[in-house]
Amino acid sequence: MRRWLALALLAPAAQACELPGGAAQSIRSPTHSVVYRAAPRVGEHFAVEFAVCPAPEGVQLDAWMPAHRHGMNYAPSVTALGGGRYRAEGLLFHMPGEWEFVFVLRAGGATQRLVRGLRVE
Amino acid sequence: MRRWLFLGLAAASAAQAASEAEVRAIAAHGPWPPAFRADPSNRASGNPAAIELGERLFFERRLSANGEVSCSRCHLPERNWTDGEARAQGLARVDRNAQSVVNARLQRWFGWDGAQDSLWAQSLRPLLDARELGASAAHVAGLLRADRDLACRYREVFGELPAEDEAVMVGAAKALAAFQETLVSARTPFDEFRDALLKGDAAGMAKYPEPAKRGLGIFLGKGACNTCHTGPAFSNGEFHDTGVPFFIEPGRVDAGRHEGIRKLRASRFNLLGPYNDDPRRSTATGTTHVTLEHRNFGEFRTPSLRNLALTAPYMHNGRLASLRDVVNHYSTVSPDRLHSDGEAILKPLKLSAQESRDLVAFLESLQDGGANYRRRPLAADCR
Repeated sequence: MRRWLALALLAPAAQACELPGGAAQSIRSPTHSVVYRAAPRVGEHFAVEFAVCPAPEGVQLDAWMPAHRHGMNYAPSVTALGGGRYRAEGLLFHMPGEWEFVFVLRAGGATQRLVRGLRVE
Repeated sequence: MRRWLFLGLAAASAAQAASEAEVRAIAAHGPWPPAFRADPSNRASGNPAAIELGERLFFERRLSANGEVSCSRCHLPERNWTDGEARAQGLARVDRNAQSVVNARLQRWFGWDGAQDSLWAQSLRPLLDARELGASAAHVAGLLRADRDLACRYREVFGELPAEDEAVMVGAAKALAAFQETLVSARTPFDEFRDALLKGDAAGMAKYPEPAKRGLGIFLGKGACNTCHTGPAFSNGEFHDTGVPFFIEPGRVDAGRHEGIRKLRASRFNLLGPYNDDPRRSTATGTTHVTLEHRNFGEFRTPSLRNLALTAPYMHNGRLASLRDVVNHYSTVSPDRLHSDGEAILKPLKLSAQESRDLVAFLESLQDGGANYRRRPLAADCR
């Protein structure tokens, strides 16, 4: 019993993630971590590089503007780069204001959404 | 609601009173004019010979089926490259207002519905529309092959004329685009104010009329017009339902962006098609990823506000005669006219008479005078 407890304490609820290349944002759920890097500018297409740990069976990225009740006019495509790393392309924030990145992870027969807000000017 | 305190103050104190957010919001509408960037999808972009060919073709009536209609029928230089009519008239009356081609090179999508994703594809569309020039690939190619001067100029830009009529026509459209890329509006009183603000030049800021300053405050604050009218061109380049009725006549509606996306995807002239000169498809990101949703029905592209005062009447169907009418539309717009599943942005601004006048004054300060184009004299025939 003591041994199992120790293992549970040593293993973080969501495995730590790293993304090469400097500063990045992170989101955690009880089971997963997402680390991402993006530099969106209003009215310009941009890409998001991110890592998910542990690697899920499937992942999607979307974005949403809650106050305006709309998302983007574009559906990003996500390419797996291997090792739990991904690149999403085709995003565009067409308005300044409060947006949310929504990472949708599928793992173990379940789907979860990890959300992080950001302000774009 | 954020208050825009400094815009109503005397210029001398304005620089101190402006918050960083306020300055950033104003700075986002410049600098102007933007630097030229060639369109990689068009190998004629920025080519002087293509620009000269395109200028000739723009005013060339023989491009039309009956030899009487040119692009300049609806895009008149003296009217800021539009026509002053509610709905444009080529060979027949169309359903929409003719948009100016000034600053068109800055757009991501073209036309009120964005059915085209490049300026050259947009230049192709009216050639083939039966209500506009009513031509065909064979007709356009026939003219370019038969006219010695045009054929010579075409060869200067693209090499020998292709055997396929369609390829010749696309070349003509790319030359038309190269010419239109040169049409950029000049600096305006707003640009002078913006730059003076960024430099802390109180004397320069003081030259901007007080009603325009107050109107700018409404534009950025109470009106939140910069939610959609973003950036140096005052347009986010995307599509919105603004509560303007989209019935054309009984039993006929203008589906706007919804139909535009369907046309875009079906077109062999889009940036994913064979006529894109850029093997990397570097400007095709939007075409690849654009989504079609029910809410796109009745959405129309956000127009630029530069030189707006010169392009009456307004909205996609030209139903509003003046800037005052446009401001009144947004002041009184009924949410009941908007898609129930659409974006929740518009609400009636309920502007006072003074606020409406100030907002119009600001919009008028985005005008450069509209007289910066001089048609170049016809050079000797190309041989």
